[in-house]
Amino acid sequence: MIEFHLDRGSGVSTYLQLVHQVKQALRLGTLRPGDQLPTAREVVESLAINPNTVLKAYRELEREGLVAGKPGLGTFVQRSIGGARLADHAALRRDLDGWVRRAHAAGLDRDDMETLFAMAMVDCFREGIA
Amino acid sequence: MTVTLRTTGLGVRYRRTWALRDCSLALPAGRIAALVGPNGAGKTTLLHAIAGLITPDAGSIGITGQVAFMAQDKPLYDTFTVAEMLAFGRRLNPVWDDAYATARLAALGIPPDRKTAKLSGGQQAQVALALALAPRPDLLVLDEPLANLDPLARHNVMRSLMAEVADHPTTVLLSSHVVADLRDTCDWLIVLNGGRVQVSGDLDDLLAEHLVLTGPAGLADGLAARTRVVEASRTGRQARLLVRGAPVPDPRWNARPAELEELVMAYLGSPDAAALPALSEVDA
Amino acid sequence: MIWLTWRQHRAQLLVTAALLAAFGLLLLGSAVEARLYLAGHAPPGCPGPAPACWDVAVALADRYDAVYTIFGWMPLVAPALVGAFWGAPLLAREYERGTHRLAWTQSVSVRRWLMVKLAVLGALVTVAGLALAVMVSLWRPVFLRQDLFGNIGIFNMVGVAPAAWWLYAFMLGTAAGALLRRTLPAMALVVAGISVTMFALFSLSDHYAEPARAVLSGTTMPDDSDARLVGAGAWVDPAGRELAASPAGVCPRRPDAGQSNRNQEAYQRCLFGKGYRYAVYFHPPSRFWRFQWTEAAILTAASVVFAGLAVHRTLRRTV
Repeated sequence: MIEFHLDRGSGVSTYLQLVHQVKQALRLGTLRPGDQLPTAREVVESLAINPNTVLKAYRELEREGLVAGKPGLGTFVQRSIGGARLADHAALRRDLDGWVRRAHAAGLDRDDMETLFAMAMVDCFREGIA
Repeated sequence: MTVTLRTTGLGVRYRRTWALRDCSLALPAGRIAALVGPNGAGKTTLLHAIAGLITPDAGSIGITGQVAFMAQDKPLYDTFTVAEMLAFGRRLNPVWDDAYATARLAALGIPPDRKTAKLSGGQQAQVALALALAPRPDLLVLDEPLANLDPLARHNVMRSLMAEVADHPTTVLLSSHVVADLRDTCDWLIVLNGGRVQVSGDLDDLLAEHLVLTGPAGLADGLAARTRVVEASRTGRQARLLVRGAPVPDPRWNARPAELEELVMAYLGSPDAAALPALSEVDA
Repeated sequence: MIWLTWRQHRAQLLVTAALLAAFGLLLLGSAVEARLYLAGHAPPGCPGPAPACWDVAVALADRYDAVYTIFGWMPLVAPALVGAFWGAPLLAREYERGTHRLAWTQSVSVRRWLMVKLAVLGALVTVAGLALAVMVSLWRPVFLRQDLFGNIGIFNMVGVAPAAWWLYAFMLGTAAGALLRRTLPAMALVVAGISVTMFALFSLSDHYAEPARAVLSGTTMPDDSDARLVGAGAWVDPAGRELAASPAGVCPRRPDAGQSNRNQEAYQRCLFGKGYRYAVYFHPPSRFWRFQWTEAAILTAASVVFAGLAVHRTLRRTV
């Protein structure tokens, strides 16, 4: 069973935080296929958030095929994340290392690089890519 | 999507002035709506009209189903015991989930034979809330449910309310002038300013479509001409605008989604601005 | 709704019942004691019209002076209390405490809530008034007084009068509470209202029926002590004409000093001796029930008006 926590100051919407936490748990293996996610009521009891938010997060996960809701029984994990993606991770990690070295050579310090990266993330996600 | 609450051109007059003027809003079913606005904006008047305590002087109110109301001072009968308050609810409402109300208060540790006057503020709020929830209403209206409660009681009341809505989907309309309490719990925002509805819409959608732009003051006017500005301010060479809708991306401007408090403050500061969905959209 | 009415107003109901019971015991106690006294002191043939019985009645009055004086103020105080404690708080207290926002947002409509309360409490208050009247009518004859009609204080405590007054006071109080929305000012308004009404009806009561006229020789007081005099009487000259003022120049007249009325009596004897008679206008005690029902009708009609006012004001809903 996963226990959710909420980072209220992070600026990331609540339902996305829940989605990320489920995905993180799937990656780490603390949630496995067949496990039941907490009911909306249980999440709400512990976090005092809108139950619709929980349902929205679960629907998003269901849309991505990670969980499935069984009416009257609960929401259950369908599959895990990881494995096949590891190869992608390695390639992306190499690209990132290259970028950091180029930025450093161009004279950017750590803060400059983090700002640039953060802006790119914001632009990218806002445009709906990813 | 069904609409639980719809007001059309609602107006309430108090002597010479209009406490509410031309208020139109539509609240879809199952939403937890926050009604915010400065003191004196008419929040309580609006809620009282919806609850049936005031007859409007203009316009109409349509509610699908039963309404339950909890007033700001969470009134209870002083000399009644908690058990007698539940008996009151049971006898005055044909639909009444007595088992739920009794179990809930027992779980909160509120003794049924204690007189309500002897309960703490938080306990009284819980009893009043139980009285409003037990008739299983379709629309639950709460006037400043967290006012005059200590932080722990506020958290508990909110938590109880959310847990109940999780089990029994209800449309909730609650007012507050402490916006911070609302971000995680509410998914519909209504801003009332000077007796008029300024904003009414899905909270996440509203926050997504409002951006805070910071950039050079010199470019502010140009930007303002091309987009809907809700609020603009300048400090020295920097300008800050809160706009609605995404402007053409310009690298000279730093853009980020608005936060709830800044959104509300921006609208309250600009009484002429409005963000209202066309009422027909809500029916779709 | 019946349960709620009982639960919310049980204090008033119980206190009123207790006070009625206490009053009943007081009456019962004094009646029993009076019977014993009479058994020991009354001349044979009493109660009756004989003058000897008058003395015994007066002796009884002296003995139970304290109980008698209750009838002086109770006809005013009892309705005032009913109005203040049953009527005024009914709506005013809900407004003051804000509980109207709880009571009127339940599934029961405001109209039904108020109608049931008015009906139940109105009925109870009427029954209480009738109970009081029964107690007093049983008690009074023990004291050899047949003054149910002539004595306004007693009149208001027998028959249907207390029930009508108490119902009226209740509705007046409720209307005051609906208007003022504050208990204490509503109580003050009720007390003032009862006083004004009492005075008004007292003045009006002379006109409930056409007064009877009797012409007396030898006395200026009608036989029946229980009659109600209307206005001052008038002298009738030997020719049979009613005079507007005492005849002048017929008999010597000297003013009386202090408490004595010997000169007045001498003057009257002189006039009677010269063939003058005295006309009095009065209502005979046989009109007791007519007056009771007339007053009750007025008060009941006013009750309905005030009840309607309270309902209308409450349903107007501007809270």
